[in-house]
Amino acid sequence: MRPRDCGIGLRAPHVAEVLEHRPVVGWLEVHAENYMGGGTAIRTLERVRAEYPLSVHGVGLSIGSAEGIDTAHLERLARLVERLQPVLVSEHLSWSVTGGAYLNHLLPLPYTDEALAVIADNVARAQDRLGCRLLVENPSGYLRFRGSSMSEPEFLNALARRTGCGLLCDVNNVYVTCANLGGAPAAWLDALDRAAVAEIHLAGHAVNNADGRSILIDDHGSPVADPVWELFAHALGRFGPVPTLIEWDTDLPALGVLLGEAAKARAYVSKAADVVAA
Amino acid sequence: MSSLRELQAGFRAALLDEAEARVVSEIIDDGLGASARLAVYRHHVFTSLTDALGTTYPVVCRLVDRRFFGWLADRYVRAHPPASPCLFEYGGELAAFLAAFPACAHLPWLADVARLEWAINGAQHAPGATPLLADIWRSLDADGLAALTVQVDRSVTLLESPWPVDAIWRANQAGADGAVDLVAGAVRLEVRRIDDDIVLRALPAGSFALRAALAAGRTLQEAVDRALLAEPALNLAREIRALLDDGMLVLPG
Repeated sequence: MRPRDCGIGLRAPHVAEVLEHRPVVGWLEVHAENYMGGGTAIRTLERVRAEYPLSVHGVGLSIGSAEGIDTAHLERLARLVERLQPVLVSEHLSWSVTGGAYLNHLLPLPYTDEALAVIADNVARAQDRLGCRLLVENPSGYLRFRGSSMSEPEFLNALARRTGCGLLCDVNNVYVTCANLGGAPAAWLDALDRAAVAEIHLAGHAVNNADGRSILIDDHGSPVADPVWELFAHALGRFGPVPTLIEWDTDLPALGVLLGEAAKARAYVSKAADVVAA
Repeated sequence: MSSLRELQAGFRAALLDEAEARVVSEIIDDGLGASARLAVYRHHVFTSLTDALGTTYPVVCRLVDRRFFGWLADRYVRAHPPASPCLFEYGGELAAFLAAFPACAHLPWLADVARLEWAINGAQHAPGATPLLADIWRSLDADGLAALTVQVDRSVTLLESPWPVDAIWRANQAGADGAVDLVAGAVRLEVRRIDDDIVLRALPAGSFALRAALAAGRTLQEAVDRALLAEPALNLAREIRALLDDGMLVLPG
């Protein structure tokens, strides 16, 4: 996979079509937890893997859990990574497990020294077991904790320095977080350690009403919004060409729509690369 | 400020039990209040877990209608939050939950339909295995054979119900009209995955008892005793041949 390559998140309803028609796309990314069973899904994915570079994106390791990451789940992830030999492995700057219950959301962390120590330990342990560098993604934010002593980019930079992990910059999440919590999205990107960024995500968001105020929801249910494309161009200007992925989960459209979004992203990346070269 | 561990326990209480007091004071209230902000997270947790349950239990969902299913899923999630991030494993207590759920008391077969859907879900996600060949049995003498415990294909569930749950399930697939003769009575079902297909079939009492005992880890002798008790005229040679021909018995591992 080259830095200019753009991919799409591969969802179950599109797998058969991808295998049959082999569309031209730079790479594919799957959610790790959907392939941890022993049924037909993983065997079909191995056929996809034989044709495309694959990225494994975890949503349930809960690297922000104060109680530590679940050993059994880390083992399942490690076996999946061994089996699929992905080009990238990523997770989220969030938590979802407490008291043994999995809350199925990317829940927010306070950006404190204590949280940094917890997540750095968890990331180091995961990287040791997986035998590869983990990319950590910025989540969409809907609240801020009083106790935070660092900004989100500062926290991510410190985590990358401490553990050697890479960063997955979700540009839509930057836009959503800044809209919901205040802050300039371009400044957020400018604060991120450019050398650590190894992947970019793009997706659509919804605009909802909460108590008479608009709040952006990262629902991955529509095309990438125009201001997010502009922010993506800014990100590429700062980071250079980075493998970029289109995510779509809610109201999944035809495969061609996702491929069209990936082609659009690819045009942005090429333009940015030409600017860098010139 | 509470420790991260306390904060996360408080967050869970706020999401699942609406007990927000412990975390509200930790959240910055700018423009939109802390409760409204927590509600964004809570909404996603409940809708996504309801969707996961609906994916595993589509027939239960159809039988009670989607709105009622959403309400009972809300109750279920609070009582049984997932223990694993693999959502295809979520919902194993739903049958027991439905059996004790007063609002479903007028649907006495609903819990068994849920057991059937859980068995189908398990069959879809069970690891594949290599069938045991008849040759392996030839190496055993009579005592060795009687004491043998075998590994049954892990996609298999043997399920007994006083209701015709297979007919209910079939009548509620896409395109079917939902009409079922409930007086059709009790069934003994074998659910398993063969290649990529989920196969449901009704078994006579002897075959069911034999296979259920083996699946529960009984020795071959014990399983045979139970099968003969359930059906004294059972043709044992044919039953054991069928176990091998069906690929029911697999190499351990």
